[in-house]
Amino acid sequence: MENEDFAADAALFARMRRMWEEVDPMPADLVDRMVAAVAVEDLSREYALLTLVEGAMAAVRGEADTATLQFSDGTTTVLLHVTATEDGGRRVDGWVESTALAVRLVQGDREWSAEPGEHGRFAFDEVPPGVARLRLVVRDGAGDLRDFQTPQFEV
Amino acid sequence: MGVMTHADAEASVDSVEPARWERAAALFVRWREGDSRAMDELVRLMTPPLWHVVRAYGLDHALAQDVVQTTWLTLVRRHESINDPQAVSGWLTMCARREAWRVGKQHRRADATEAESLEPHLPVHESAEQTAATDDESRRLWVAVGTLNERCQRLLRIVAFEDRPDYARIAEDLSMPIGSIGPTRQRCLAKLRAVLEGEGWRGDDDGE
Repeated sequence: MENEDFAADAALFARMRRMWEEVDPMPADLVDRMVAAVAVEDLSREYALLTLVEGAMAAVRGEADTATLQFSDGTTTVLLHVTATEDGGRRVDGWVESTALAVRLVQGDREWSAEPGEHGRFAFDEVPPGVARLRLVVRDGAGDLRDFQTPQFEV
Repeated sequence: MGVMTHADAEASVDSVEPARWERAAALFVRWREGDSRAMDELVRLMTPPLWHVVRAYGLDHALAQDVVQTTWLTLVRRHESINDPQAVSGWLTMCARREAWRVGKQHRRADATEAESLEPHLPVHESAEQTAATDDESRRLWVAVGTLNERCQRLLRIVAFEDRPDYARIAEDLSMPIGSIGPTRQRCLAKLRAVLEGEGWRGDDDGE
C-alpha cells in the first residue's frame, strides 16, 4: 500500500474513533469498576487491613444463631451479618459506608463475588461454613479507589 | 500500613508515542514482575478501546460491560498463557472479540425478536449537551457509516480501536478466522469513502 493511502486511511480511522467516542461513549464509571473487579481478583495484591472493631470471630452454630462483625480502619467501616441457611450453609449480608465497586469473599482456594448494590449493600447468599476473609474495593469521599481486606473470621 | 490508593493512570489514550500497545506491554511486564498497581494502569489504558470493540458486536450496554469485565478477569486468571508480553493488547482485544461474539450469538438466539440488535446503530440517549457537542462532522460520518452493511460497520469500528499494527499475525497465532480482514477492510473503507464523497465530504487528508 502507498504511504499516502496509508496516511489517509489512518486519518479516516481517527475520525471514526472520535465519532464513536461521541455517539456511543463508554459509561463514565466503567473504568473504575473494571479496576476494582480486577483488583479483588488479583491475589498477588497487597491489601490494607481492616481490624475487627466489634463482634466475635466465633462461628454461627445453628439456624437460630446469628453473628454481627464490624471491621474498620478508622475511616472505612464494614458491617457483616452472618446467618445460617436452611441447607446448613451461611448467608453473609454486608454493608460498607463507602460506595463498593467490587466485593469478594475468599475461603481457602474458593472465592465468591458479590454484586455491590445500592447504598453499599452486598450479600453472599450461600457459602459453606468455615474460615473466610472479605476483600473489597471502595470509592472514598475524594473519589479515589481503596482496597481492603478483613482478617480471617469464621462464617 | 497506610491505606493504598489506586494511582491515577494517565487518562489519555490518544498520544502518539509510544503507541498504546507498547504502553500496554510495558505495564503488563511491570505487573508480572510484581508491581500490582501497574495492572490498574493497564485497565485504565485498555478499557476504553475494549468497550468500543465489544460494542461493535451489537451488544447492549449491560452485556457489553459484562464482556469487558470477563476479558479482564480472564487476563488475570490466564496471563501465564501469554508467551509474548508484547502481544497483551492484541490478546485483550481478541479475547474481548471472542467473548462478545459468543455472548452476542447466545443472546440473539435467546430473543431473536428483540429490537435490541438495532440499538447499537442508533445514537445512545444523549443529553442535550452531548448532542450539541457532537460536531457536524461526526454526525455526517456516523450517518455514512450507518449506510454500510452490519459486517462493515463492525469491522471498521474494531479496526479503528485496535492499534496493534500486525494484528493479522496475532489473529493467525490465535487461529481466528479473520484471515481476509485486510481486503475486507479495504472494501469497507472504499464503500465508506464513496458515500462520503457523494455527500461532498472533503476531510480525508486532514488527520489528527
